[in-house]
Amino acid sequence: MAKFEVMVGNKAVAYAAKLARVRYVSAFPITPQTTIVQYIADMIASGEIDADYVTMEGELSCQSSAMTAATTVRSFTATSGPGLLYMHHPMHMTTWARLPLVMAVVHRSTKGMQPDQMDTMSQRDTGWLMWECQNSQELLDTGIMSFKIAEDPRVRLPMIFMGDGYILSYTSEPVEIPAQEEVDAFLPPYRRPIPMFPEEKEEAMKLMMEMWSPYVDPQKVWRDQQQAAMNAKEVIKEVNHEFEKEFGRSYGNGLIEEYGCEDVDAVLVAMGTIASTAKTAVDQLQRDGKRIGLVAIKSFKPFPEEEFQRIAGYAKAMGVIDRNVSTGTRGGITFTEVRHALYDVDERPATLCFHAGMRGKEVRVEDLKRMAEKTLKAAYGEKVSPQVEWA
Amino acid sequence: MMSKPVTLTRLDEKEFITPANSACQGCAGSIVARMVSKVMGESMVRQEVACCGPAFGNITQPAFYGEIFEGAGAMMTGFARAFNRVGRDDIRVVGIIGDGGTIDIGFQGLSAAAERNEDMLWICYDNEAYMNTGGQRSSATTKYAATTTTPIGEYSRGKKEPRKPLTILVGAHRVPYVATASVAYPEDCMGKLEYAKDVKGFRFIQVSAPCPTGWRFDPRYSVKVAKEMVLSGLWPLYEAVEGSLRITYKPKELKPVKEVLKSQGRFRHITDDEVDEIQEEVNTFWVRLLEKDGGPLF
Repeated sequence: MAKFEVMVGNKAVAYAAKLARVRYVSAFPITPQTTIVQYIADMIASGEIDADYVTMEGELSCQSSAMTAATTVRSFTATSGPGLLYMHHPMHMTTWARLPLVMAVVHRSTKGMQPDQMDTMSQRDTGWLMWECQNSQELLDTGIMSFKIAEDPRVRLPMIFMGDGYILSYTSEPVEIPAQEEVDAFLPPYRRPIPMFPEEKEEAMKLMMEMWSPYVDPQKVWRDQQQAAMNAKEVIKEVNHEFEKEFGRSYGNGLIEEYGCEDVDAVLVAMGTIASTAKTAVDQLQRDGKRIGLVAIKSFKPFPEEEFQRIAGYAKAMGVIDRNVSTGTRGGITFTEVRHALYDVDERPATLCFHAGMRGKEVRVEDLKRMAEKTLKAAYGEKVSPQVEWA
Repeated sequence: MMSKPVTLTRLDEKEFITPANSACQGCAGSIVARMVSKVMGESMVRQEVACCGPAFGNITQPAFYGEIFEGAGAMMTGFARAFNRVGRDDIRVVGIIGDGGTIDIGFQGLSAAAERNEDMLWICYDNEAYMNTGGQRSSATTKYAATTTTPIGEYSRGKKEPRKPLTILVGAHRVPYVATASVAYPEDCMGKLEYAKDVKGFRFIQVSAPCPTGWRFDPRYSVKVAKEMVLSGLWPLYEAVEGSLRITYKPKELKPVKEVLKSQGRFRHITDDEVDEIQEEVNTFWVRLLEKDGGPLF
């Protein structure tokens, strides 16, 4: 039977690792991720988790060792901000070897301790799939689903599931913990993804040749990786749907969540806890008769391009909230991705960008309501400026 | 407990390495690879990082070419733990790692894996520089050696610093086995590999592998140069089993280092004073080794 417990987001992440029956965990402290690996250490100490728990000397080694362990057993690691930057180099290797490692990232700015998305955005092109969460329950559920998606033979790519530091990591809320038997029925045992044993030497050496040899087809590694990430769109939807059947919870269609989007003229687009706050803003505005909804991006990689093209059919304006900056490019990274998705539709909606929540700057309901009002004005054909603003 | 030299005529004929590779002529690293594969045989999964390894990596056992120069210790940890977890303790996790990936960029991971006493065999083939990128100095380079980043000129006498005492540093982690070896003494080297093969925990062997390309000598003399380094005390052969030191080959009298250094182009510029300085260091270290022989490493 499932049970409820009031817990912080980091504990929900630890429960996800436990319920997924991870067998290798590499650990290194960094605020605000640290308590994840502490909870896991406690769970191993008490016998709740049966796993090798290796306290590494830095995040680079956390990533490198969890990568090679993932050739053989289900593996997990977690980090934040600068720790993720330190993992960057082996993260490329993990996708190169197509190892379905799952990692939790608790957002921390790359310039300071408070949250923004610059840590994961700096890993955008490593080939990792990335899933954002709005609350602690979502962290737990997303963690479990991540293993299933990453390990699917159509995908076989590593996956990050992520949530905002402090706002989720250290904030308590009631979380339903699914029963182990239910998770076991949902998530099959780990299958070794690549041949590494001595008796598989022919296949193992062939694989390494394919990975490394410039004579095989230099672009194949990247082409295959790209295809796998694109395949993940369907797999994510399937797994999200299956999760709903098993546990009664789902997160939009797995790629995006459209909140209050019936009969609207415009939408706010947001990720993570800002999306969660934006739901309240949308509720309040709709009570006042304002026709605005919310699109919460759940899957940042793969990016839900087709979803935005469909939404362009009903939204005349999109106000994209970016908890990130792409220095030297006008507008944030989500803004750029959304506009890229919209280029091929016949009637493109107006788009606005709001840089918000950088380095933990608070994003309040009132702030979001103001952004929504501006977006609505754009939807009704009014000239609004600037198109890109620092909220 | 100690290693026992292997009699070469009694070795199994079976090889776990293909006959040709793309290494330079006279590559001593190739000899290390052959010895390691011969002793480890079927039971090995090999870790490789950036080094000359891909050139002599014609070993037929599975390998993971991780492009993580600094990551050998961590990557081997992942393999060792995971193989153990699924009941495959029969697989030996072996790294054939260059001196850069061991002593410089890989040192943090090496130290951490040694501290945790991970079940792995780390073989450092030591050619005293970053030879695969064209011979840049590493902290394994002998003092005064000319390398492509420590050239000789009016304002430079070659490498400024003495070598890092790597094997001793690893031994100070209290691991079950550390040793030095040389391609010129295959009986000794393979005996050490044979011993280390079945020890559980962290094992480390640093093998002297002279590089004709980087050290600038005739490729036919790789083994000769390696041998003279041992005979002169530039490369003493010893091991520490559970922290107990034993010199595995004791020349009756050390040959002067001058000739050995002068036979290598990288020391062509060296002055008598500089030779004396290296000779002094070699003598001091050798005396200290003799004092410690048969007793604790530290």
